[in-house]
Amino acid sequence: MNTRKITIGVVSGLAAIPIVGFFLQGLSKIDSSIFFAWDFYAEVVVKGLLQGVMYALVALGFVLIFKASSIFNFAQGAMVLFAALAMVGFMEWGVHWILAFVLAGGVMVLVAFLIERVVLRPMVNQPHIILFMATIGIFFVLDGVGQTIWGSNVKALDIGISRQPIIAFQGTLLPNGMYLDPTEIVAAVVGALMVALLAVLFQYTKVGRALRAVADDHQAALSVGIPLKTIWAIVWSVAGIVALVAGVMWGSSLGVQFSLSLIALKALPVLILGGFTSIPGAIIGGLIVGAGEQVGEVFLGPLVGGAIQDWFAYMLAMVFLLFRPQGLFGEKIIERV
Amino acid sequence: MNENAPPQMADQNGMAQPERVFGDPLLTVDNISLSFGGVKALTNISFNILEHEIRAIIGPNGAGKTSMLNVINGFYHPQEGTITYKGNVRSAMRPHMAAAQGIARTFQNVALFKGMSTLDNIMTGRLLKMHNVRAPETGVWGLDHVLSWGAGALDFVTQCLYWGPNEKEEIRQRSYCEEIIDFLEIQDIRKTPVGRLPYGLQKRVELARALAMEPELLLLDEPMAGMNVEEKEDMSRFVLDVNDEFGTTIALIEHDMGVVMDISDRVVVLDYGRKLADGTPDEVRSDQGVIDAYLGVAH
Repeated sequence: MNTRKITIGVVSGLAAIPIVGFFLQGLSKIDSSIFFAWDFYAEVVVKGLLQGVMYALVALGFVLIFKASSIFNFAQGAMVLFAALAMVGFMEWGVHWILAFVLAGGVMVLVAFLIERVVLRPMVNQPHIILFMATIGIFFVLDGVGQTIWGSNVKALDIGISRQPIIAFQGTLLPNGMYLDPTEIVAAVVGALMVALLAVLFQYTKVGRALRAVADDHQAALSVGIPLKTIWAIVWSVAGIVALVAGVMWGSSLGVQFSLSLIALKALPVLILGGFTSIPGAIIGGLIVGAGEQVGEVFLGPLVGGAIQDWFAYMLAMVFLLFRPQGLFGEKIIERV
Repeated sequence: MNENAPPQMADQNGMAQPERVFGDPLLTVDNISLSFGGVKALTNISFNILEHEIRAIIGPNGAGKTSMLNVINGFYHPQEGTITYKGNVRSAMRPHMAAAQGIARTFQNVALFKGMSTLDNIMTGRLLKMHNVRAPETGVWGLDHVLSWGAGALDFVTQCLYWGPNEKEEIRQRSYCEEIIDFLEIQDIRKTPVGRLPYGLQKRVELARALAMEPELLLLDEPMAGMNVEEKEDMSRFVLDVNDEFGTTIALIEHDMGVVMDISDRVVVLDYGRKLADGTPDEVRSDQGVIDAYLGVAH
């Protein structure tokens, strides 16, 4: 699908929500003045977009592994939690957070090599569903081991980002500016950098070409001399480091706790929107889900008693599954009969 | 030494063609036996492939032809027997190492990277020719690994930036692929995702990818299956040209006897995992055992 169509669709969708809300407002006691405040609307959208980048960070890890092995990695959420726990663990020893980050990255690479050796290697050429089941096993192992080593208390992860909201975009258009959470801004910048790097990795490097080859056909990849095991270890390492970044970002805003492994569930609709195989798709999907659910919550929420945020993304995903199952940027499935 | 003597070639009109010259054996399989559980796929197979030769492996369905190719390029590990390739004796080998030593292959059921364009598919064949990508060949972790990963990481960054030596490298590899694309006459499908191509062209792209590896030994598994007469003629011509221009040694499996007898120098016949006959097309054609296997005999 071309970019223009997508842009028009997304923008009109976002604009439609408050308009629908405006016409429905008579049904409730909602304060109609918010529908006319342009700066408020802008703030809601930007907040949603920033939240969306946080979702996208988690979704990225899924995309990486799906691209290189066509399996849905159920354990991605557990990897996020495990990575964040490892980093907090190192920081509790009094290590500076940057060093702790590097060490936790090392731990994730080690985990990746272990997974390749113990779980994936015996399962070369098995159907994808078997590998998927194996990742469910990895989920429980990582979850259990992580909590055994570091305990199950909620831990604060402080990497020196201020908790004070900052006022941004103050100008003639927005006289009051908008209040933004610094953590989310940092996450947005980091997310953008990671996507750029990974997109370049897949598109322009020989490792990227090898990764795509492995995802398509194991046997053919072996026959042109791609060492499958090395490639898998690399992919899981990169996915582990992506999980670490997501863990740091989510951990510093929510605290490091078991529920981090469940934010993976929010990444699912993001993947369905963006397409399982597209790295830019993960980001765009995240942005759409983030902005959509914020705008929906604020402008439609009062009509139905709130909590739209909890289900909006899944409903959007369902609509996509009905009309565009490969997502916005996914590869179209061509079946020859 | 008699066995290695080059066969005299003569075409149907009886006109002598220029005599084909072969080198030493490039690959020798010796007493290979392979079984899956109780099923014997190959039993005591021995033959050799000379440098610059076109060697056909034929036989009825289920004779073990594809298994033989899988043994040669390391997908299957035989229980008994040895394989001597370029003077190195071995019993088994990992597929990516076989690729690194110059064995390329195509598959019976086309195995291409369907989501990628023709050009990208061919470029995967160049992966091993790009500097630094080679994984250390030993399984032991040591300085080799560390250095290789370190160099790889540095290399990787410059690749991401598409900068410096890597830009030149990419261009160099790309130009080699363009030569192959010209050679196989697939210029117009360069950017097409291979999943959309008709079967005959997919087979040609697969051959192109194998050629991109600059192989010394090219294994072709039924390169002409499912093709019409015209496509078969094209493919035969490409196989002969590859052999002629690049000097590539070729081992091919093919069911079309007309093609096999026309283009191959020597033929080995398998049946039920055993070697039935081995020799020039003419010798094989007149072999009673071969005729029986193909036509069936009354018992």
